[in-house]
Amino acid sequence: MAWLMRGKDEFVDSVAENLLDRLQDCRKTFPTALCLGGSLEAIRRLLHGRGGMEKLIMMDMSFDMIKVLKDTDEKFARNNLETFYVVGDEEFLPIKENSLDLVISCLGLHWTNDLPGAMIQARLALRPDGLFLAAILGGETLKELRIACTIAQMEREGGISPRLSPLAQVRDAGNLLTRAGFSLPGVDVDEYTVKYDSALELIEHLRSMGETNALFQRSNILKKDIALATAAVYQSMFGGEDGTVPATFQVIYMTGWKEHPSQQRAKRRGSATASFGDIQKHFGRGSC
Amino acid sequence: MVRVSRVLLFKDGGGGGGNALLTVLSEILVCPLSKQPLRHCPDSRSLVSDAVGVSFPIVNGIPCLVPKDGKLLEDQIKLKVDDSCIAKGES
Repeated sequence: MAWLMRGKDEFVDSVAENLLDRLQDCRKTFPTALCLGGSLEAIRRLLHGRGGMEKLIMMDMSFDMIKVLKDTDEKFARNNLETFYVVGDEEFLPIKENSLDLVISCLGLHWTNDLPGAMIQARLALRPDGLFLAAILGGETLKELRIACTIAQMEREGGISPRLSPLAQVRDAGNLLTRAGFSLPGVDVDEYTVKYDSALELIEHLRSMGETNALFQRSNILKKDIALATAAVYQSMFGGEDGTVPATFQVIYMTGWKEHPSQQRAKRRGSATASFGDIQKHFGRGSC
Repeated sequence: MVRVSRVLLFKDGGGGGGNALLTVLSEILVCPLSKQPLRHCPDSRSLVSDAVGVSFPIVNGIPCLVPKDGKLLEDQIKLKVDDSCIAKGES
């Protein structure tokens, strides 16, 4: 656990900042919000009263994590914001239907086994016109490490085993939102390149974020020579001239709204009363 | 020293956090398994889901609503921890 409680992390902070920034793009306020596991600490620290929240529920799978957050709660003096701490599982969301205005998740949902199920439950918990906002790591994340690890394993063992958790691709994110029944789905992608002094430092950072392999059926032992070979391959294939090694983090931002009559939607096919030909005639003449 | 701070935390969780917890409980929290309302049982410091007969502990003022933390109520009757609470619930 000590790894996970290091506190500030620039990569996580910039993702959380980017996510919270989106709240300011909405005219709506979000009095009741649920923040799902992942980078709760960053969200709480960077919130600065955005989104007009009055009640904020912080939920994580880990009791220790929630307890640390609750114990440090007093440090964050906030006006008009009540924060509650709950231990819960996204796949068994303990939230009443139609009771939230916002569900926000920063780098947490790629850990769930049943992502569509978790998103459907999030939608049910939202009030009509409530917002679902999530950042997850995408499939391009750590592509350098995947390549280096594969090459090292092929070379030493003549085969490969999954060392990195499978992650959602960008096209999956859109499908997930639609499948979970969100309206006005929006997906966008951001790539961050973090430079490390060495490949070992990268592993250390991953551990501190808690982002090491979550696969259950993985082979538990990473032999030392393979680890060293991976580091060597990484350094030689991707290392920069100044000796630093880059690592790519692809973050997929997902936005979805719970259906509400006020939202714009496409009209029924064949319901148009004017033809495009007429429009062209009209505007074509006007512009000449 | 550790013990003292623990006692303080416990008091804080039981007193100040308790009322706020009840409000959020009635408005937002439900049983994670059945999505039915939870009943607060102050004697055993737990949240009881009557729909499925499971109780979820409140530790240091933090409700633990993960299914694996839930205890079937029959076990609690054996332990005689929850007796008074159940009697209240039935009456």
